[in-house]
Amino acid sequence: MGPISHSINFLEELQKSVGLFAPETALTVTFLLAIVADLIFRRSRNVTGFIALLGFIATGALLMSNSSTSAFAFNSTYAIDPFANFFKLLILITSYLIVVISFFSAELYHGNRKLGEYYTLIIGMTFGMFILCSSTNLIMIYIGIEAMSLCSYVLSGYTKEIRRSSEASLKYVIYGAVSSGIMIYGISLIYGLTGHLGLAEINHSLNVANLDHITLLVSGMMIIAGFAYKISAVPFHFWTPDVYEGAPVTITAFLSVASKAAGFAALIRFFKVVFAAVPAQGSIPDATWNMLGSIDWRIVIAILSVLTMTLGNLVALKQTNVKRLLAYSSIAHAGYMLMGVTVMSEIGVQSVLVYLVAYMFMNLGAFYVVMQYANLIGSEELEDYTGIGYRAPVLGICMVIFLVSLLGFPSTVGFIGKLYIFSAVLSFAGKNGQNFYWLAIMGVINSAISAYFYIKIVRNMFVRGAEFDKEKFKLSPESLVVALIIVIPTLYFGLFPGAVIRWAETSLKILVGN
Amino acid sequence: MLTDFGIILIFFIVGVLFVAAGLFVSSLIRPSHPNKIKNSTYECGEEPIGSPWIKFNIRYYVVALMFLLFEVEIVFLFPWTVVFKQLGWYAFSSMAVFMVILVFGLAYVWGKGDLEWDKPKPYIPKLEDFVDMKD
Repeated sequence: MGPISHSINFLEELQKSVGLFAPETALTVTFLLAIVADLIFRRSRNVTGFIALLGFIATGALLMSNSSTSAFAFNSTYAIDPFANFFKLLILITSYLIVVISFFSAELYHGNRKLGEYYTLIIGMTFGMFILCSSTNLIMIYIGIEAMSLCSYVLSGYTKEIRRSSEASLKYVIYGAVSSGIMIYGISLIYGLTGHLGLAEINHSLNVANLDHITLLVSGMMIIAGFAYKISAVPFHFWTPDVYEGAPVTITAFLSVASKAAGFAALIRFFKVVFAAVPAQGSIPDATWNMLGSIDWRIVIAILSVLTMTLGNLVALKQTNVKRLLAYSSIAHAGYMLMGVTVMSEIGVQSVLVYLVAYMFMNLGAFYVVMQYANLIGSEELEDYTGIGYRAPVLGICMVIFLVSLLGFPSTVGFIGKLYIFSAVLSFAGKNGQNFYWLAIMGVINSAISAYFYIKIVRNMFVRGAEFDKEKFKLSPESLVVALIIVIPTLYFGLFPGAVIRWAETSLKILVGN
Repeated sequence: MLTDFGIILIFFIVGVLFVAAGLFVSSLIRPSHPNKIKNSTYECGEEPIGSPWIKFNIRYYVVALMFLLFEVEIVFLFPWTVVFKQLGWYAFSSMAVFMVILVFGLAYVWGKGDLEWDKPKPYIPKLEDFVDMKD
């Protein structure tokens, strides 16, 4: 085979890949259109936002159209499978809602600010997360993380005139640089150990060479550190409270949902493809992954999970700023989701997917109400929330529903998520009678602790300082409609979770090797 | 059996030896009369004053970023020129798309006014600032 025929093969592969890459291409085109529109319509402040919304719809349609495809693209560095599709759709819905929510933000539109770049960067960040969801190569994973992070650094410091916003951005850059440095060091160690960067090839050489090296443990830990930073798991969470508090509320919501989801997508794919034994040809794969080697990654993730939720919940108890409180609560939720990853089985992954859908609705909703309150009273302090429930009743009731859902109260979607996570953990039965009952017990204790601070917000809103005589806030009907759009799925999927569960069930297929 | 890295190592060692041998031999035969002026950093020219670690104007970073845009373009263009004849129209159109995207970047920077070298406007003090003119 000469160089020319080789390059022709390469071209055919490339052309096939470009077809599979259509949703990402749609995002890129949207990004370019937004840039051009930002240049042409200098007066308009929202035009890029509307272009982003249209582009997201087009991308969504393309995603739906190849929802059942399973194929590798770009020389097996990129997997288009139902698992990636699930995450991409979830991220796309989040991005869409974030753009809609941003239209109502007072702090973003403060002082006649141009928001062209803001919406453009949201598109760019969505693109990075898409890459992260589908990558099956360590370098591609790294590129995805960087593409996503670079946009989020700028976005978290977008409100330049607010000091803590710039501070948040700088802290995010520094922590991000350190964690991606650690991760790329881990990647280089794995490359030195196995000679491969593709996840499936690494799995193969681990299987053949039976590498049970301390280096493997160290490099695996370093790569987990990179993912743990993105999902803000303890002990890589230090950036979370400061960045979540300082960044504009819309970006806080975006980081807490979409970037966390992308991190989980990459983490789960990494474990499934690298460390799980590939079932023999023709055999029915086990529902519980058979892990390679003697390192027990389940214990590693379980410890990470316990640390994350315990610290998140305990520190949240003392918070006086609602944004900061929700930041710690989002750390705790990452801990709950890690419980699902711990199980490392089909049921475990399904529970994480269900939880992410639930988490998306309730967390976006909570941050939306926080943003509306900040528009009304110009503060995010818990003290200033006294009696606000009576002054904006509809929003107040929505907030109660979101908080109760975050707590995991029955009849809300948060309960369904927790139910699935706990039952996945309890159903695990490993070799030598290994089980994770203790993990489930820790989860339940933590849920009980979290009740205190969620209810504390509600108490401040409705019970304390019930000033009926104070003037009621006037809210535009559109902003109430947006609140209802997020509240309705929170309640509906809590009562009839069938659709979400089926969606998660059909999205379990992760492409492993070719 | 030497690997490619082995050859590089030998090249490296020979290079170091070559320089060291040259310096050693010349030190044997040259006269040595050091004095203060000879030992200064610049035998002819200005004495350096202060530290070179000063704050640069942020404008230079914008220029550096712009430079990066076209630097990346060159990095991708060179390998492409070697093979594009074999790969045909597909490779040509791919590169065309890439160039169009880069031109968008340039247009964006230009349109946003980042190519303007904004000169600082120093405030030149006037007589009125120092003298109360009301009298």
